[in-house]
Amino acid sequence: MTLDPRTKMVIVICLSTLALIYNSAGELLPLLLVTLLLLLLFRIDISSVWVYLKRFLQLMLVVFIIQCIFTRGGEVLLSLGSTALVSSQGLLAGASLVLRIIVIISAALIFTTFSSRDFILGLVQWKIPYELAFMVTIAMRFLPLFRDEFVNVVTAIQLRGVELKQVSWGRKIDLFRSLLFPVVFGALLKAQQLAVAMESRGFRAYPRRTYLRRLDFIWIDYAVMLIFITITLMLIISY
Amino acid sequence: MHFLTLTQVNFHYPKLSRMALENINLEIEQKSITAIIGPNGSGKTTLGKVMIGILQATGGKVLLQGEPVSEMSLAQIGRRIGYVFQNPDLQLFCATVAEEIGFGLVNQGWEPARVKEKVDFCLEFFQLAEYRHVFPLLLSQGEKQRVAIASVLVAENEFVILDEPTIGLDAYRKKILAGYLRKIASIGRGMVLISHDMGFVEHLADRVIQLEKGRIVGDSERKGRNGYDT
Repeated sequence: MTLDPRTKMVIVICLSTLALIYNSAGELLPLLLVTLLLLLLFRIDISSVWVYLKRFLQLMLVVFIIQCIFTRGGEVLLSLGSTALVSSQGLLAGASLVLRIIVIISAALIFTTFSSRDFILGLVQWKIPYELAFMVTIAMRFLPLFRDEFVNVVTAIQLRGVELKQVSWGRKIDLFRSLLFPVVFGALLKAQQLAVAMESRGFRAYPRRTYLRRLDFIWIDYAVMLIFITITLMLIISY
Repeated sequence: MHFLTLTQVNFHYPKLSRMALENINLEIEQKSITAIIGPNGSGKTTLGKVMIGILQATGGKVLLQGEPVSEMSLAQIGRRIGYVFQNPDLQLFCATVAEEIGFGLVNQGWEPARVKEKVDFCLEFFQLAEYRHVFPLLLSQGEKQRVAIASVLVAENEFVILDEPTIGLDAYRKKILAGYLRKIASIGRGMVLISHDMGFVEHLADRVIQLEKGRIVGDSERKGRNGYDT
């Protein structure tokens, strides 16, 4: 399906909004199915969802456990003496939160079907200032770099003879806490260098920018946007 | 037994069609200085990373004193082989230069007094004393390179791999580094130098391995003072 990038942005916003509004697994599961169906329509390899999800597995596990333990109500499924550890409500809340993360990550994959250049162009044609649109794409490009930076630091620490798997949790937290400052500061430093590099190459040299290409909506874009916005609004109102 | 043995080692990066390393067979002795040279993209850095286990070979075997590197943790390897990254930004993570140099020693349980003594020595030797409390990433490229080298050499590993150690160093500091490397080689600590700097390589290396398009195309031993024998 060849849709305008802005139409695809609207689809992602609709799916993510519903994922944030819905609270139960019974509502989020059909939403996930719709999202996966859309990925198929956009010819996105479904297995790539797993590739992206793998990176968030630990986060999802932690979120799931916290929800299971701290959400009370329903039948007690696991207890330690008289203290209830896991309840049926907690289990459902954990599952819902994990499903919500999966829906948002899957929906975001739709962004991979168009280039960052089109993304900027789309936002600019929606009257969003170019600087702001450019900043959003840079932020998106910086996120994997941030992750790589962290992986590099962890590799460097291990190569200095620190067995991270054998270090106690207290020491591990201490180690990562002390690493946070240099990693964040390093990222800020890189951002500052990037700004200088961009300005030295004429970024914002002229107040008005011109574009070689223009994105144009066709009837299918209007139809798809209308359908998605209407359904989303109806679902939100009836919720 | 050789210190490092690579047998039929292959490596390819997932998104590239051509192999980064192909049929690498290499034996490296502990008490020698081996240089790996070659043009950009020939696989020098990849070979260094495969040797130390940062990258796992996609084919073949890498043995560290007879033990497969793939079965060892990075920390186990790191306690025996020091590794200086090509880009110092990738290996500097502490809040101050002194902390950076002492990090490995502290975490390997060295006595605080001994750590201080070693850190002070390195700060003086690598002319970094005035930057003791400075955040390493704020230093110039050459200074960062010196911090990275110092933070690896301070641990006195039995072997060191240095990837482009002379980048950013001026002639005087190159000479100091060469002197230090020759000194540690003379007490039996071997090393692999990955470098473009032929002057530096010829000055130090007992053996020169030449890579091209991921393959070894030359392997020569030092013959006398002035040349290498293939």
